Amino acid sequence: MIKFLKLYEKFGIFIFIVVGAIVLSIASPHFLELNTILNIITQGTYAAIIGFGMTFAITSGGFDLSVEAVMGLTSVFLAILIPVVGIPSAIVISLVIASSVGLINGLIITKLDVNPFITTLAMMTIIRGVSLLVAGGRQIVISEKSFMTIGTGKLLGIPVPIYITMVLFIIFYLILYHTPFGRHVSAVGSNENSARISGLNVNLVKIAVFVLISFTAGVAGTIRTSQTLIGIPTMAPGFVLIVITVTVLGGTSLSGGRGNLWGTLFAGIFISMIYYGLNLLGVQIFYQMLSVGLVLIFALFIDGIRTKYLEKIKAKGIKV
Amino acid sequence: MYDVKAKKVKMKIGQLWENFGLLFLFVVVVIIFSILSPTFRTYYNFANNFRFSSLIGIGAIGMTFCIMSGDFDISIGSMLALVAVIGSSLIPKIGGIGGVLSTIAIASFLGFVNGVFIAKLKIPAFITTLGMLFVFRALAFIYTNNTPVYIQDKFWLFMGNGKVYGIPFAVIVMVICYLSAFLLLRKSPFGRYIIAIGTNKRAAMLSGINVDNVKIIIFTLLGFFIGVASVVTSANLGSANPGLMGQGYEFQVITAVVLGGTSLKGGNGSIGGAFIAAMILTYFKNGLGLLQVSSYWQYIAVGLILILAVTLNRIKYTLLGQVEV
Repeated sequence: MIKFLKLYEKFGIFIFIVVGAIVLSIASPHFLELNTILNIITQGTYAAIIGFGMTFAITSGGFDLSVEAVMGLTSVFLAILIPVVGIPSAIVISLVIASSVGLINGLIITKLDVNPFITTLAMMTIIRGVSLLVAGGRQIVISEKSFMTIGTGKLLGIPVPIYITMVLFIIFYLILYHTPFGRHVSAVGSNENSARISGLNVNLVKIAVFVLISFTAGVAGTIRTSQTLIGIPTMAPGFVLIVITVTVLGGTSLSGGRGNLWGTLFAGIFISMIYYGLNLLGVQIFYQMLSVGLVLIFALFIDGIRTKYLEKIKAKGIKV
Repeated sequence: MYDVKAKKVKMKIGQLWENFGLLFLFVVVVIIFSILSPTFRTYYNFANNFRFSSLIGIGAIGMTFCIMSGDFDISIGSMLALVAVIGSSLIPKIGGIGGVLSTIAIASFLGFVNGVFIAKLKIPAFITTLGMLFVFRALAFIYTNNTPVYIQDKFWLFMGNGKVYGIPFAVIVMVICYLSAFLLLRKSPFGRYIIAIGTNKRAAMLSGINVDNVKIIIFTLLGFFIGVASVVTSANLGSANPGLMGQGYEFQVITAVVLGGTSLKGGNGSIGGAFIAAMILTYFKNGLGLLQVSSYWQYIAVGLILILAVTLNRIKYTLLGQVEV
């Protein structure tokens, strides 16, 4: 049973994907075409990218609700800055602004000792307000067509967002599993007190994690903006739910300490498959909301059972 | 010697703050907006705001219980909309009184479902309710096919707009809710269980309190109060809108509870504080609206108030010596 749980934690998401793929290929003759598959993966990248950041946050025992607002903020600043300073510097500045939101989050959480949940909930509204204020409440059209390459361009037949996701995945993977910082993140998430006592700078780790997640939200916001060429202050309402669903479904434990980046990546693709499948059925957007909510609760249900079982085993004195 | 004296002074400030801080803040808000806006200081506006404060105020009761026990619920905004559309659509079949009762019953049941998930499966409350936030909202859309339900039933409308001897009925409902909640929290074993669980869950469990059941009851109670708030809100609006109703409601309610002095770490809390805080928030929003401050600034202001409220609470409890620094 322990072995099974461990396997599930690592590869459970693949079962979902395989089942989903079989169902979809029966339902739609177009599913197995290369274009459809690339499309699904591309649509899954936003959730996966922010999911990488959320994996770090949840692994460290934290949480971030402000990501969707950060996406909107990035989008607005891109739209305003591109005509002024050109595309590359606009992207850099917007990403810095996005990351600075994470810095503020981290500072409030560590220095004022406010619960991360409440902090980011409040920041979500504040950042939405700021984005709307900066944009004057309107959507801003970007006239620079070449900016579109980031979101819709293709290299060797594969969309650019997939490359960006892969690069970010490799970087985050190396950070989480192969650097001292990654181990510190896990340590803080498993037991903050012991991490502090053993000499870790817990506050610094936490702040860095929140900067990372805001950065990933900035990247996702950039890709999304470049696909539509519009700066939208209220971009992606409710997207945070999808990000959390992706992270938890991917096998990252809510009790902290254990992150699963592979899972996050493939859970992003899985959620995108659900959306594709529901589009295929022609259902309204409410059902998509409902299904993501239900998938999240199901993922939590499994996570809950797993945690409960492991606790029981630990109580018996068996080493896990 | 000096240390003891300083500590005593600190305690005094903390106690003064705890007893009169919120009232003081309320008076300040009222005075400032009365000076700035002639419309704000009319009796009509004042009385109306009092009535509107019941919308946040009633929900804040259940949320106070919830936060005192160390949990959150952010699904309440969607729950408000869902039960309002279901309840009001039942009016033609079972009448106004039946509609109101079934609204409250359905809300209690949804709260119960939340509670079972959280207590029995040990899923963190805020994530469970985050999922429910979307499920409830989606169900509200699906149930109504995204069309508002208009309410014409007299009894239902009376809950939000009616008056008894010149006092708005919504206010009477709120006062009754507050009185019973106060008795429940301060005069019954159940209230002590909530405080015990919020202060130290493990100690509460070891001393024989059935933590799971208390949690389930807390979430059911929260659902109950949301049901009442849902009836009052939809009666005020004259319709139940699946998309617009309750947007950001959870945010306002949590802000009211925290501003009211309830500690996010659980254990410490104040029902009366939540009441005054709900009034402060309502008058504050009304004042900003009358001064024609852009709604974008209002977003920012509300977010800042929440963070400020948590920080102030922390300082207060530090002064009172209840938090280790």
